[in-house]
Amino acid sequence: MRPRAKALVAAGLLGLAAWYITAPSKLDRNDWQSPRGDLARGERVFNIGGCASCHMDKGAKGEARLALGGGQAFATPFGTFYAPNISPSETGIKDWSALDLANALLRGVSPEGQHYYPAFPYDSYQRMAPQDVADLKVYLDSLPPIDRANTPHDIPFPFNIRRSIGVWKALFLQDGPIVETDETAGQYLVEGLGHCAQCHTARNVLGALDNRRWMAGAPNPEGKGRIPNLTPGGNLASWSVEDIAYYLESGFTPEYDTAGGTMVEVVENLSRATPEDRLAIARYLKALPALPNPPKP
Amino acid sequence: MNIRKTAIITVSAIVLAASAYAAAHSPISQRKAAMKEIGGQMRSLGGMAQGKTAYDDFAVFSAVEIMLNNAIAARPLFADSMDMGEETRAKPEIWAAGSDFDAQMGQMINALQATLDADPADLDSFLPLFGAIAATCKSCHEKYRAPES
Repeated sequence: MRPRAKALVAAGLLGLAAWYITAPSKLDRNDWQSPRGDLARGERVFNIGGCASCHMDKGAKGEARLALGGGQAFATPFGTFYAPNISPSETGIKDWSALDLANALLRGVSPEGQHYYPAFPYDSYQRMAPQDVADLKVYLDSLPPIDRANTPHDIPFPFNIRRSIGVWKALFLQDGPIVETDETAGQYLVEGLGHCAQCHTARNVLGALDNRRWMAGAPNPEGKGRIPNLTPGGNLASWSVEDIAYYLESGFTPEYDTAGGTMVEVVENLSRATPEDRLAIARYLKALPALPNPPKP
Repeated sequence: MNIRKTAIITVSAIVLAASAYAAAHSPISQRKAAMKEIGGQMRSLGGMAQGKTAYDDFAVFSAVEIMLNNAIAARPLFADSMDMGEETRAKPEIWAAGSDFDAQMGQMINALQATLDADPADLDSFLPLFGAIAATCKSCHEKYRAPES
């Protein structure tokens, strides 16, 4: 074969490999055991998962927090994302099966087989238990249907090529635990369902969480200030497990200062969780490897 | 020394002293001090609410009284937005059209006054009053206080 033909074949093979690697991979239908969902358990999953905070109207309070018509804008270095409608309506996810929801949360893949952008934090949610997904499905189905069309994301090239997310996934998606710990209940809530690291961990240039700086704080994506370091080397060093749990329930620090910024929403969600869940989160945080605060930007 | 010089020196001294006084007693530093005092008393109430310390109705009454005095003192200090170059976490939204900031300050004062009026004798009657006070801290900070920089 002539060198030019060889190069063409090599490029072709590389292209095929890249196409294969970046393909969205759904759950195997046979691996999905179709666990029976439960409404009350689903409400807990919903609250700890913080679904409302992104999918409700911005600043919604009370009952309005359960109207998940989407539309909130999230400006990022990669473009502006708009939360989709996840209410049980025609424009929402009425027609989804529990398996569809599982593919979204655990694989970041839509029912149409497209990659979702990781603005939807499936790099955390992928650790969710199938039972929790099934429970969440029952709960989401019980919420009010909202008829509102989705706003298309405003993403410039090359990030607007959905297939490029396949590269991101191949590089950064890593299931399994992040840190070694005996606090497995809290680990599930912090590393998975509660997706705490999405704000409390710094990101690399491609927007993926930097696991070497796990939970050690990050710049505030909304501009001013910083997101605190939650490892024992940071802002919570002097807080007891009970202090942390009380903060998550009430929004008050041990100094009786109030939670600020987006943490107000998180407290709104976690105040509806159980005391055991809040204590589990607190124990996990206290067991984290201590990391120093990041340098001032 | 002629009268003119004396006058200039005197006026300068007064201006200097006044600006030094203003820095320490500016509306911003005064309202910061008031809020800090409110937070400190809140902490002692919170210890009782959480069951960390024993319930003491006398301590509750005096703490709430201090908080009320500071709240009443702080309210007019937010009247204008002149910042005199001082650092503050008060958001400009406080002075924007349609702001309900003053009403929120009123709600804090009402919640504190209601607690004094009730003079709760035990923890069970104190808890809902404490919850109402705490809710006013949170709702106002959420809207009108910037994050720490």
